[in-house]
Amino acid sequence: MRKGDSLVAHMDWALFATYIVMLIIGMATVYSVAYNEDHPNIYEYSEKYGKQLVWLGISLFLGLMVFLIDSDIYRKFSVPIYLFTLFLLVIVLFTPKINGARAWLGIGSMGVQPAEFAKIGTALLLARFISTVNVKQQNIQTVLIANAIILMPMVLILLQPDAGTFVVFTSFLFVMYREGITYDPLILRVINRIPGIRFKSTWVGGHFIPILFVVIMLSVVTLLMSNEVLEFSFLPNVKVPGFYSVVATLLLISLLFLIFLRVVSARRERGRATLVVILGFSMAAGLSSVVNYGFQGLRSHQKDRIELFLGMKEDPNGKDYNRNRAMAAVGSGGFLGKGYREASVSSVRSNHVPESETDFIFCPFAEEWGFAGTFILVALYMFMLVRIIIIAERQRAVFNRVYAYTVAMILFYHFAINIGMNIGFAPVIGIPLPFFSYGGSSMMSFSVMMFILLKLDSQRRDVLQ
Amino acid sequence: MNLDARRYVILAFILMVGVLYTSRLFYMQVVDDQWVLRAQEIAEKRWEITPPRGVLFDRMGKKIVSNRTYYNLMMIEAEIHDLDTAKFAKLIGWTREEVRNRFKEIVRGEGTYYNKNTGKRTANYQKIRAYPFMKELTLEEVARIAPHLDNFKGFHEEVTSMRSYPYANGANIVGYLSEVSQEEIDEDHFYKPGDNIGKAGLERFYEKELRGRKGIRYIVTSAMNNAIESYADGKYDTSALQGPPLKLGVDIQLQAYGEKLLKGKRGCIVAIEPSTGEILALVSSPSYDPNLMIGKRNISMYYPKLLLDPNTPLLPRPLASEYPPGSTFKLLNSLIALQEGVITPEFGAPCNKSVVGCHNHASAGNLADAIKHSCNPYYYAVMRRIVQQNRKKSVFADAEVGLSRWVDYMKSFGLGHTLETDITGLRPGRIPDVAFYDKWYGHHRWAFSTIRSISIGQGEVTITPLQMANVAAIIANKGWYYTPHFVKAIGANGPLPEYRKKHYSKIDTQYYDIVIEGMRRVVYEPGGTGRRALLKDIVICGKTGTVQNPHGEDHSTFIAFAPMDKPKIAIAVFIENAKGGGGLWAAPTASLMIEKYLKRKITEKEREKTIIDAVFSYMR
Repeated sequence: MRKGDSLVAHMDWALFATYIVMLIIGMATVYSVAYNEDHPNIYEYSEKYGKQLVWLGISLFLGLMVFLIDSDIYRKFSVPIYLFTLFLLVIVLFTPKINGARAWLGIGSMGVQPAEFAKIGTALLLARFISTVNVKQQNIQTVLIANAIILMPMVLILLQPDAGTFVVFTSFLFVMYREGITYDPLILRVINRIPGIRFKSTWVGGHFIPILFVVIMLSVVTLLMSNEVLEFSFLPNVKVPGFYSVVATLLLISLLFLIFLRVVSARRERGRATLVVILGFSMAAGLSSVVNYGFQGLRSHQKDRIELFLGMKEDPNGKDYNRNRAMAAVGSGGFLGKGYREASVSSVRSNHVPESETDFIFCPFAEEWGFAGTFILVALYMFMLVRIIIIAERQRAVFNRVYAYTVAMILFYHFAINIGMNIGFAPVIGIPLPFFSYGGSSMMSFSVMMFILLKLDSQRRDVLQ
Repeated sequence: MNLDARRYVILAFILMVGVLYTSRLFYMQVVDDQWVLRAQEIAEKRWEITPPRGVLFDRMGKKIVSNRTYYNLMMIEAEIHDLDTAKFAKLIGWTREEVRNRFKEIVRGEGTYYNKNTGKRTANYQKIRAYPFMKELTLEEVARIAPHLDNFKGFHEEVTSMRSYPYANGANIVGYLSEVSQEEIDEDHFYKPGDNIGKAGLERFYEKELRGRKGIRYIVTSAMNNAIESYADGKYDTSALQGPPLKLGVDIQLQAYGEKLLKGKRGCIVAIEPSTGEILALVSSPSYDPNLMIGKRNISMYYPKLLLDPNTPLLPRPLASEYPPGSTFKLLNSLIALQEGVITPEFGAPCNKSVVGCHNHASAGNLADAIKHSCNPYYYAVMRRIVQQNRKKSVFADAEVGLSRWVDYMKSFGLGHTLETDITGLRPGRIPDVAFYDKWYGHHRWAFSTIRSISIGQGEVTITPLQMANVAAIIANKGWYYTPHFVKAIGANGPLPEYRKKHYSKIDTQYYDIVIEGMRRVVYEPGGTGRRALLKDIVICGKTGTVQNPHGEDHSTFIAFAPMDKPKIAIAVFIENAKGGGGLWAAPTASLMIEKYLKRKITEKEREKTIIDAVFSYMR
């Protein structure tokens, strides 16, 4: 009993409450978007909300199971769990295609997507592996193993193919970065071949991952914005090229950084910090302009190809259609929204936004609740992510910390890409919005992921490190 | 390497995305309103429901213009699968080429839409929407096609309403409907392309009344363009309202009879109820069956033919043809001379054929006999007295004063300007005034002898048959008239306000009695020119006219009213290029119309047969 008491007492109630609030909002949104007058009862199993409610119940039950199992089991059994999810990823490749991908295991509507659970397996094994690594003495082997853990499921997922989940797996790179896994052994092996050069470590090697991501993200955002023209209802006749808004945003972020650093950093470091921020801004702005003007200068067929890939252009597969419809739905929400169950563009019945109950569920939410709602939603996610990082950093065990970071980064990826494609900031990649999108696999996997985290955290004091 | 500091990099990264997304959402949802418009474009549709047009009744309560159900063959491209063009073409009786061209025509006809936000031009045509493939099919036509439509997915029939004319008469009164032009759409946003609008006659004049009020439903539609629900629970919706029925003063049976009488002749009959100004019949011959002008298909088939017909069936002659009035005009000159005091009823003048031709009759010793004989020299004398009153020393200046006074009188009879009758296509006719003659001959370079032909209704004077009938009505009323009009009631309301206002001539009542007595003698006394109008139990007062014209034989005209006391009908008959004078053709025609209207049966069968059977050479 004492143990049970401490379990509940040591659980992070703030995170748990955020999770529950999100589930409730998500359930309400699914009910609203899929609402059918003939079956208004939320328990109606023939409707999507009825099914979602069942998934929700199963998820909470699984969560309870997870919570009751001793936390040490996840570390101990991380290898079999990982291998089991890999096994599932292999056998799913022998199933018939559904919607152009071999992603579903199971019968009829009760199928599950192994890729969703592979995230958990990979997270556990990566945590296990990194917890055994001495960061100070890394060699080529550590880098390769860490990357192989991630790459194996990624390759299998790409074979399905499921581009969305594939991209999500790159979130593990951030965790590796946090844990100090460096690409230096690889880079040094190349660079030190050059006569006269003998580096022990490189800045690029250590910060390889964030640099890569900043470059990719900035490029994508710049490309997406470079064809846009911004107009303001209160400033008629003022038209600003979309690219300027990227630079303006970078400037804003840099200023915020400057202020932040002046508050946080020690006096003698301020000069250097200011220099870093200014340098960072100039490089980012430089990169953005190179991408923008380079893109504008491309020949039209090359431009077409990029636009097609990013869903900026009308194409036979209708990426542009989804994006435009989704943005119209979100943008028409106004400040306070159209009201619950009043989404005229993105309800399932109107079907103007395809997949509005799954990958595009942010649409009906934004249309119904307006900026007031989306602000709260973004704030909730921010709170959850920051909370998970706080939890991660208070762990004594490296395993726990790495695992917590993987949860944070996976959630962050889903959040950033899913909402990004609704507001024109991300290409249309089909991944669910955690705790909101209709679908059993994502609901279960995110819940299990969350409960493992809560369990590890509640038992953090038991770990002697 | 300080790994712990890296948490801030990750935190900063996450928070940066949060801030970025929040500001983007703020911009999209609060600042920029283009998305609202785009969403409206996508999901909210305005459905217009066109009510059936108002219907028309005649004075007896017979429905003369009604609505009939027609069908459009609709097509939804997205639902068409594996269309067997050859079979389909056979079903609808077209060639394969025509079917293919029709598809292209529909797409083209919808035009393109320029989106200001994206700068893109896109076709309005949508595959998921229904478009009329064939329009205005009759029940018989659709009954042949509809059973086979199951084999042609994507095609279905849809009900539409169009005009129908149970009596094939009065085409020039009711007019016709046709598709709106782009200018009409630009001018009045009531209309959409493909809507019908009144193009002529009452359909055009009473367009705003007849079209009713469109119902508007704001609905939320799905991507398949199905209506899902009312927008805001129908708070902004309005229901369609049919236009009020119009009750006409026209007697459709009299109208039909008039058209029958004039068959084979070019000419007009206008009959007016003097006490109200309601037009009882307005016959224009030749005419056409208004049922030929229903729908685009019919119009494109028949309109060119009607337009090119040398006898101009589309011309509403009673309203638009400006004829010299001929001798009927003498009635007005008589009244003016009496009012001016330049003659007395006992004024006599010799029938001096050296001045102007006349037929053989005894010289008129008084005004009534002059009317009876329609003596031309007499009216030269009368007109000279009106024009040359010796008020000025110069004969030219004197003529100017006299003519001005004459013009004022004529205007008070509704001549020389367009009557405000409730129909389109009216012409003003011409009462030549001082300015007119000054322009022709020069200032002070004309006098009575120059313009004398107006004394017998020839020369520069022209008036329309409608105006002539109105003159008959004024004489019947002894000095006043309501503007002739067709519609006596709009729904529960009376006629338009302008038809409730009496207009007075500038002639005193007592002078009319003298002229009316003359008109009686025209028909009832030996030597009268209108003897062929005589009826046994109805006293008709009339005046013949034989109008010389450059187009051939003389026009035959007659104006009359009956009965003499308490007149119920005033009439003008005008028959073009009739061989023989007014007495020969127009007078008997008028008498038949009068008998038909007042007695509902014809006693003068011989007279009727002669008129109906006459077919003039130009009509063959």
